[in-house]
Amino acid sequence: MRRTDVVVVGAGLAGLTTARELTAAGRDVVVLEARDRVGGRTLNHDLGDGKVVEAGGQFAGPTQDHVLALAKQVGVETFPAHTRGASVYVHGDRARRYRGDIPPDPLALPDLGIAMRRIDQLARKIPLDAPWRAPKARAWDSVTFESWLRHTTAGTGALDLVNVLLGSAFGGSAADTSLLYSLWYIAGFGNETTPGTLERGIGVTGGAQESRFAGGSQLISQRIAEELDGRVVLGAPVRAIEQDAGSVTVKSDVDTWHARHVVVAVPPALATRISWRPLLPPQQDALFSRMAFGALMKCEAVYPEPFWRADGLNGQAVFRHPSPICSMFDNSPPDGEPGVLMGFLGGPQWHLWAARPPRERRAAVLRVFAAAVGKPALRPVEYFEQDWVGEEWTRGGPTSVPGTGVLTELGPWRDRPFGRVHWAGAEHSDHWNGYLDGAVRSGETAARAVLGHG
Amino acid sequence: MKGTLVRDYTVSEQAIIPHPVRRVWDVISATHRYAEWVPTVLEVTDHHGTAELGRTYREHNKSLGPLTTRSVWTVREIEPLARRVDTGIGFAPLQDLTNVFEFEPIIRGDGSESTLMTYAVQYRLGLGPLGPLVHRVVAAGLRADMTRAMDNLADVILAEGVPS
Repeated sequence: MRRTDVVVVGAGLAGLTTARELTAAGRDVVVLEARDRVGGRTLNHDLGDGKVVEAGGQFAGPTQDHVLALAKQVGVETFPAHTRGASVYVHGDRARRYRGDIPPDPLALPDLGIAMRRIDQLARKIPLDAPWRAPKARAWDSVTFESWLRHTTAGTGALDLVNVLLGSAFGGSAADTSLLYSLWYIAGFGNETTPGTLERGIGVTGGAQESRFAGGSQLISQRIAEELDGRVVLGAPVRAIEQDAGSVTVKSDVDTWHARHVVVAVPPALATRISWRPLLPPQQDALFSRMAFGALMKCEAVYPEPFWRADGLNGQAVFRHPSPICSMFDNSPPDGEPGVLMGFLGGPQWHLWAARPPRERRAAVLRVFAAAVGKPALRPVEYFEQDWVGEEWTRGGPTSVPGTGVLTELGPWRDRPFGRVHWAGAEHSDHWNGYLDGAVRSGETAARAVLGHG
Repeated sequence: MKGTLVRDYTVSEQAIIPHPVRRVWDVISATHRYAEWVPTVLEVTDHHGTAELGRTYREHNKSLGPLTTRSVWTVREIEPLARRVDTGIGFAPLQDLTNVFEFEPIIRGDGSESTLMTYAVQYRLGLGPLGPLVHRVVAAGLRADMTRAMDNLADVILAEGVPS
C-alpha cells in the first residue's frame, strides 16, 4: 500500500490538468493511467521525419481559452488550420466549391438558416450550469433533436447538414439525443463572456476548428506528464475504489494507493465499470451509464504533398448524407509536407462501415475524398484509421451522448462529488463539453474542488 | 401477335479495367457492394455475400428522374473469372431484364495485368410502336451508367490498395 494526497485516475488532458494544478498547489499526487501512454483521446500518429498528425481530438478555437492557455504554458504552439482556397460540398454526384462555413445547397439553405437562427435563440435560454431549469426543459428533453428539426423545417436539408456536424461532434446523429441536450451543448460553444453559437461550433476561421497544435495535440499531455516527473504510472488500470470517512483506497493492476482524495478523470461510462465500495449513488451510476460515447473513427490518407492546394482547394469538404464520411479536413503538418486528408466516419455510418472489411472501407473513404479533391486522392502513400470505439479505455468517441430524458432526470448528478471522489473529463464541463477545452476546464474545476476540501 | 409488339434489345459497353481479372471478379462478385460502383443502385437492401448460383439479392434503384424502384436479382450463371449473368425484376416497362458481365485478361506492354470488361444489359420492351422510341431513350441512359459503373469499378479497386 502506497500513500499520497490525491490519486488521479486517467492521464488524459483532464486528469493531467488536475494533477498539474494540485502539484502546483503543493499536493502530493499520483496519476494512474490504464494505457501505456498519456493523452487519452488525443493521439499523435507518427508520419516519420519527426512529423506527426493527430488521430484523436485536435482542434481549438476562439473562446477555448483554457486549452489554449495551457498549451502556451507548456510550450506547445498553435498554427491555423489550412483554409486558403475553396471548400467543397458534395451532395450525391455533385461537388460544388464554396467559401465560408455554410455549404451552397440552395434547397437546404433556407431551412438551415431558419434552424440555425432558432437554435441560437433557444440556446440562449439555457442556463449552462443547470439546463434542467430551462423554461421548457422537460418538453425539450422529451423530444429528439431530429424530431424538432423535422418539425421546424420543411425539408431534410437542415437535418442532413446538422447531422454533418453531429457525425463528428457526437459520433452520432440528431436522433440520438434530446433537443434540450443539443441546445445546451451548443450553448456551451463559448465562454463566460461570449455566448455559444452553432456557427462557432461548426466554423473553421473564427470557430472551433480554427487552430491546431504544432507537434500534435497529444504533445500537451506529454509535456504535462514530463512536468509531473514520475508521478504518472502507465499500464495501471484502476479496478476498485473504496472509501470511508477518512480516506480512499484505489486498487490498480500495479499497486494499491491510499489517498485523501481521488479525482476520476475517465469517460463516465467507464467509471461505472470500476468496483465501488460503497456503491456509487444509484442516480450517478445511472447517469454515467447513460453517458455512453458515440461511435467515431478518424480516417486519414497521406500523400507526398497536399495536391489539392494547387487546384485552389483548402482540403475541407462537407458530404451530405448518406456518404460514409461526413466532413473532411486538410490535416497536413504545419509545413504542408506530407499532405494529409482526414475524414470523420461517425454515427450511423460508423455502424454501417465499421463491420466491413478494412479494404472495402478504405476504398469507400478514399472515393469520398476523391469526390471532393479529385482522383489523385485514390492513391495515398499511407492510409490509416483510428477507431475510438475499439479503444478499451475509451470505447467510443468523441464524447458522451445521453438520450432523451436523461438531462432533466439525472443531470444534476454529473459533477456531484461522491464522498472523497471528484470527477473530471471533457464530459464534466459546461463550456465546450466533449472538446479539449472542456477537458482542461473540468480538470481545473476538479483541482479547485479538491483544494477546497483542504 | 406478341412477336410484333414485344421486341428484344441489348445494350452493351466495354472498358479496360487497369487491374487483374481476379480483383475485378472479387468486387463484382460481392452482392453487397453494388451501391459502391453501379450508379443506378442507391442501396443493396438484401444480399447473400459472394454471388451464388440461384440465389437472390435486392436493391433500391434510381429510375427516371427523381423516381426510384425496388428490384430483385437472381444469379443465373457463374463462370469464374469470365462471365456472370443475373436476371432482374422491378424495372417496368423493361421486361426479362438480364445483366451480363464478361471478362478477358489483358497483358499490357509493360507486363501489367488489365481486364477487358464487357457489360451488357438485355431486356424486352412492349409498348407497341412506342417501344423503339423508349428503347432509344433507355439505351442512352444505360450506356452512360454502364460506362460510369466500369469507371467506378476501376476506382474502387485502385482505392482498395494493394492486397496484403
